[in-house]
Amino acid sequence: MNTHPQALDHASQTEINAAAILSCEQEPIRIPGSIQPHGFFLGIEHGDNLAQQPVIQVSNNLPLHTGISVDQALHHPLANVIGLENAQQLLNSLAAQSFQFYPLYLGTVALENGGFYDVLTHPQDGMTVFEFEQTSRQAHADFRHLYPLVGNFLNSLSSVSSIEEMSQIAVREFKRLTSYGRILLYRFDGAGHGEVLAEAVDEGYHAYLNQRFPASDIPRQARDLYVINRMRLIADANYTPVALVPAHHPLTGQANDLTHAVLRSVSPVHVQYMKNMGTLSSMSVSIVIKGKLWGLISCHHAEAKPVSFETRAACEQLGQILALHIASKEESDEASERLELRRMLVEMLGPLGKGMDFVGNISGIAPLLMRFAKAGGVALMFGDEVKAFGNTPTPEELQSLVAWLGTQSQGIFHTDSLPRLYPAAAAYQASASGILALPISSLHRHYLIWFRPEVIQTIDWAGHPYHKQAQAPQQDNLSPRMSFSLWRETVSGKSRPWNSSEVGIAAEFHTALLSLVLERAEQMAELAEELGRANKELEAFSYSVSHDLRAPMRHIVGFADLLLEYQGDVLNERSQRFIHNIKDSARFSSRLVDGLLSFSQMGRAALHIADVDMNELVRSSLAKLLEDQQGREVECDVAELPVIQADGNFLQLALFNLLSNALKYTRTRSPAKISISVEAQDDNWIFHIADNGVGFPMEFVHKLFGVFQRLHRMEEFEGTGIGLANVKRIIERHGGSVWAEGSPDQGATFSFSLPKQIPQAN
Amino acid sequence: MLKPILLVEDNPKDLELALIALEKSQLANEVIVVRDGAEALDYLNAEGQFANRQTGNPAVVLLDLKLPKIDGLEVLKYIRSADALKSIPVVMLTSSREEQDLLRSYSLGVNAYVVKPVEFREFVQAIADLGIFWAVLNEPPPGSTRYVRRP
Repeated sequence: MNTHPQALDHASQTEINAAAILSCEQEPIRIPGSIQPHGFFLGIEHGDNLAQQPVIQVSNNLPLHTGISVDQALHHPLANVIGLENAQQLLNSLAAQSFQFYPLYLGTVALENGGFYDVLTHPQDGMTVFEFEQTSRQAHADFRHLYPLVGNFLNSLSSVSSIEEMSQIAVREFKRLTSYGRILLYRFDGAGHGEVLAEAVDEGYHAYLNQRFPASDIPRQARDLYVINRMRLIADANYTPVALVPAHHPLTGQANDLTHAVLRSVSPVHVQYMKNMGTLSSMSVSIVIKGKLWGLISCHHAEAKPVSFETRAACEQLGQILALHIASKEESDEASERLELRRMLVEMLGPLGKGMDFVGNISGIAPLLMRFAKAGGVALMFGDEVKAFGNTPTPEELQSLVAWLGTQSQGIFHTDSLPRLYPAAAAYQASASGILALPISSLHRHYLIWFRPEVIQTIDWAGHPYHKQAQAPQQDNLSPRMSFSLWRETVSGKSRPWNSSEVGIAAEFHTALLSLVLERAEQMAELAEELGRANKELEAFSYSVSHDLRAPMRHIVGFADLLLEYQGDVLNERSQRFIHNIKDSARFSSRLVDGLLSFSQMGRAALHIADVDMNELVRSSLAKLLEDQQGREVECDVAELPVIQADGNFLQLALFNLLSNALKYTRTRSPAKISISVEAQDDNWIFHIADNGVGFPMEFVHKLFGVFQRLHRMEEFEGTGIGLANVKRIIERHGGSVWAEGSPDQGATFSFSLPKQIPQAN
Repeated sequence: MLKPILLVEDNPKDLELALIALEKSQLANEVIVVRDGAEALDYLNAEGQFANRQTGNPAVVLLDLKLPKIDGLEVLKYIRSADALKSIPVVMLTSSREEQDLLRSYSLGVNAYVVKPVEFREFVQAIADLGIFWAVLNEPPPGSTRYVRRP
């Protein structure tokens, strides 16, 4: 943040500005109590016959235009003030109007002083107001030129595609119609700052294209007024306001609401603002879209320059046409963007719905995800699991960010200036000034987060937006800014903003994700249930195997024994051998069943992890095994072994199997050599059991650890083929692995690794 | 008069082997054979076909674990819950050393748990040892009489 102190200053500056704007916002702009002097004001009380109704309010400059004093006018019919013929003409015209669009043009009249006046009317709280606006035209206003003008303007607008080009056409047309020295079209952003999109300027006029006017230039109540009354004219900033008589609305006793008055006087602040800007006359037309002030077309001229009513009417019409075009352009842009986003949404959801691996699926569509949100990076936070793609903060930074997000909102969160809300983000603002975060679980901190990189913006202000007060001498709280010279601001820690269609479609994606997650959870629950059932069945199966399969073996052996006992002496040697064969087979079958049962039990039984002294384990196993190896010469080389973490019973079984194999396959060797060694790694112990036995060809190494896999003929080396499968299962249950190396007649080395810390899940 | 040994066994082959083993062990006790759990309870309670049997409890019950109708564990549970029966020594005879069976049997108060060995010689030895211990050497609860093994 240190590199851009400007950004930090905004907050405090905004407070100062707020005070300044407040004074502006209290300006009574709708009820200034006065009018501009290029015409006069006359109000008649409503009634059935307006010709008989008295004049009840006039402007103070009435005598100047009519030669009739205020006293002569008040409480007398209209005809007494402007002559019978004029009065009849205006009232007839008024009676013929059926529109309620104000101000309404009634016609042009000539008065006693020889001057011609355009007459405009609007109702005002029980009073019909007539405004007489002086004009050089000696006839009624002619609107016939409007038809080709509007047609031509529509054609021009239709031939271009961007809002900037439309704006350019509009300012050129305004320039032609008004002959004013400078026409600016500006658009207001979310904060109310106006950016100049197009301009048409004469030589000698300052240009403002692409600069910004701060929101404080146009106070809030002025914006409200501009939505209702779309046209304003200040013919001469050096005017002296003309008061109304009586000063307040005679029927309400309140100040007159001059919202619809074309002569409405403007705020002294605004007049000063105009003078500061070097312009004596100004006209502006509102661009209103969906009831909101989208922008303004502002016309300035260095000298006082009146604009005729029909020209103003033309400008107002063009402004409305432009507004319609911009609105439809914005809508179609947004619609096509939404359409494209929706197409991508469908493309993304396809792969997400497949299979159980949600995290893997998300990873698979990462490039699409980034394109979808026009992001530079995307991260999936699934508990402790972090999957990041593109430019994102580090996993540690992501974890803290997610913790912070948890304190912010339950729903979708987005910002284009993360470092301002979350100062820690300043460390990675280059890649992640903007984020859009979707929570994908209400229970856990699971998030999908998009990141937008910082876009360092240079904004050219027409005058310093934050130093309004500092530059104007503080006298009456009504001082507009003095300087309009360019002031360049650099904004950092901000990304391209997330627009409404992007956030909207992200919300749709969010909903789709949540239902996917929900579906996934249901599938998991189902699967768990199925697994549980399968497990139960398996248990029942092995239970019944252990009872029912063993019994017949026992009977075979038992009756064979009895047969030998009772009939042994009458059987010949061959028959006796057959009976022995029967017994051997039954015994072997019984051992196979036992082996299978213990193998399945090893997969199910819980591990009881404790300290196990490997020296003790090896010593006791060897002692027991060597008991049965009387007469053999066996050399055992046992290294000093560690005390490790393991299930002692299971590990004993594994070790017993390995050592018994070593003894078995060295049966043909004298001396048999068996060595047991250990390696310590960072996280693992590795044990080796090497022998000088018959070995095995490496091409069959993959079969060694399978159930019922044997590499030797039964009469060479007896065995059920389940011992090494048990070893593998025991070691893997501990989170380790097992492997072997050997070659025929060159001995074999069996190795297994065990983690120093056994994972708790086992 | 010697108390009898109650042998509860459904499998005819197991039964034959067990009877031979008992015969070889030379115990003088009469061997009463019943073929399922229900019959065992009838005998113990002197009901049904055993309504007219001589009164008194057997010296020991050799009980197969897996039985039709009422299984061995239930018979054991009943014996331990009935005041008149609970002091009878019960030996569970099974085909397999399933941990859950072992645990349940002991928690129900079995006196011994024997996995029938595959080798018949070992089976004979086991039956003989059990018979001698429970029917001869074991000190019965007060009120019972000790019997001496027949030479």
